Amino acid sequence: MFLAFEEIKKEKKRYGLIVLMIFLVSYLIFLLSSLAIGLQNENTQAIDSWGIQRVVLNKNANISMPQSILTNKDTTDTKIGKKESVIGQLPVVVKAAGRSSLTAQFLGIKKGQFIYQDQQLVAGRRAQKNDEVTVDETFKTVNHYRLGDQLELNISGQKYKIVGFVNGAKINMLPIIYGDLSVWQTARQTVPNVAFSGIVSKDRHYTYNHLDAKTYSVKTFVNKLTGYAIQKTTFTLMIAFLFLISMVIIAVFLYILTLQKLHNFAVMRAQGISTRTLVNAVISQSLLLTVTGVVLALLCMWLTVAILPAAVPMNFAPTIIISGSLGMLITGIIGGLIPVRSIIKIDPAQAI
Amino acid sequence: MAVIEIKDVKKTYGHGSAQVEALKKINFEANRSEVVLIMGPSGSGKSTFLTIAGSLQKPTAGQVFVNGEDITHFSAQQSSSLRLNKIGFVLQAYNLVPFLTVRKQFVLVDKVKKNNNLSQAKLNQLFNELGITKLIDKYPQELSGGQQQRVAIARALYANPEILLADEPTASLDTSNVEEVGKLFKRLAKEHNKAIMLVTHDPRLEKYADHIYDMMDGKLVKQK
Repeated sequence: MFLAFEEIKKEKKRYGLIVLMIFLVSYLIFLLSSLAIGLQNENTQAIDSWGIQRVVLNKNANISMPQSILTNKDTTDTKIGKKESVIGQLPVVVKAAGRSSLTAQFLGIKKGQFIYQDQQLVAGRRAQKNDEVTVDETFKTVNHYRLGDQLELNISGQKYKIVGFVNGAKINMLPIIYGDLSVWQTARQTVPNVAFSGIVSKDRHYTYNHLDAKTYSVKTFVNKLTGYAIQKTTFTLMIAFLFLISMVIIAVFLYILTLQKLHNFAVMRAQGISTRTLVNAVISQSLLLTVTGVVLALLCMWLTVAILPAAVPMNFAPTIIISGSLGMLITGIIGGLIPVRSIIKIDPAQAI
Repeated sequence: MAVIEIKDVKKTYGHGSAQVEALKKINFEANRSEVVLIMGPSGSGKSTFLTIAGSLQKPTAGQVFVNGEDITHFSAQQSSSLRLNKIGFVLQAYNLVPFLTVRKQFVLVDKVKKNNNLSQAKLNQLFNELGITKLIDKYPQELSGGQQQRVAIARALYANPEILLADEPTASLDTSNVEEVGKLFKRLAKEHNKAIMLVTHDPRLEKYADHIYDMMDGKLVKQK
């Protein structure tokens, strides 16, 4: 560590630039990963918040809740306990006086069931009457809707009063409007005896297969969300390549840095300084530079998260912090280890 | 007993028609309190001799003894330890670690060799003798050639080696500095009881030598 630290102290400009590069690469990784994960999470935000394991839908709906309609006949034998909620889902366009119109997902739910009970309200209260709704908080933070606004839904001619804003209520990237199931049933009244779109359950063993009703795992359900699977693959590949290329760049930089010092190492080897001391110096220097760059990037990320507008779907999750930081540290170690062979093979006679 | 003894040492490089015999069955010895000069033109084999005497390279044939111990077949680790504890080097380009101040050059020696270094009092005395006391917070590139030379000598002596090997120690010094360095080596050999071997082609150092060897085409002949 002595050699590593002293060299950095002497060559502040050179090592400052290397730290700057590591910082920028780390920041890029954290930023793009957070944006990708944030965007991807907007597909499943509500589903994740419900904590569900199983979904029952119409077997002809291609595992799509908005396309699914279960009738009273389909649902005659259902058992709806504390771990189950029924949902009627429809995409809607809403507007309110003085506000811009929005595309959203209307979710008709029943009072007393867990989705209704577990709403994480950031303002207001849960809906009590059929003409009251709670909405995702982005209605407020991004689109400036207020409590008391009267929403007009294109699925019915009626107006619904916003009585609460809910945290984490997005599905398929669209904000959710939680209203009464009867609103959905009215909108779907062209189909006789409609009950709901589906049942969601927190019980991993919950199964209900009757007539047109079929049970799916939540994983299957999520993967069939419109565009979700392809988006996930794209983001995963993007982040993986970003990591890989960044790591190679940093490792190569650290390698070149070490190669430039081989003559100094030959001199030190001639003086009897052991290979182990030199290898330790190189690795600890790589780690020192990497840790400094990563810590700066983390600080900058927290600042970025704090100042970015709420509309930006950023999720600087602990998994990104841990995997990104570990990835960079491993890169630092690899970057230091690659030239070890050159150090071991140094001929101290070169110093003469 | 000689501190360093070289017996029938040969060193060849390359193979077949490209083979070069750098040292041809040479014999040599040096004792404590002596300054020994190995003189010869460039390409005569002086540097090869130095690397073998300093355990930086192994001879193709023959034996090398330090304090009577055969070091010819030492492992890389044993050689490294030998150099750290018993052999000091002063190299042609001085080769101070460029990113360490003069003070930190000695701290580095302390970090890697924890025992038997000179005491602080003796180091200060050495600094005074070498006239480098005021340079301790400077980096090598802030020093003149003569100053770097003296720091390199101090660093080599700080580890308290029994043998000091110097490669062209006066190559970039003017005559007055050569005189100064020559006297210094002579004094260090006597006062610090070291065997000092100077590989050089500088005749101005001859008057400070107890023994002089001539190296010519890989052969070593004792002149004085």
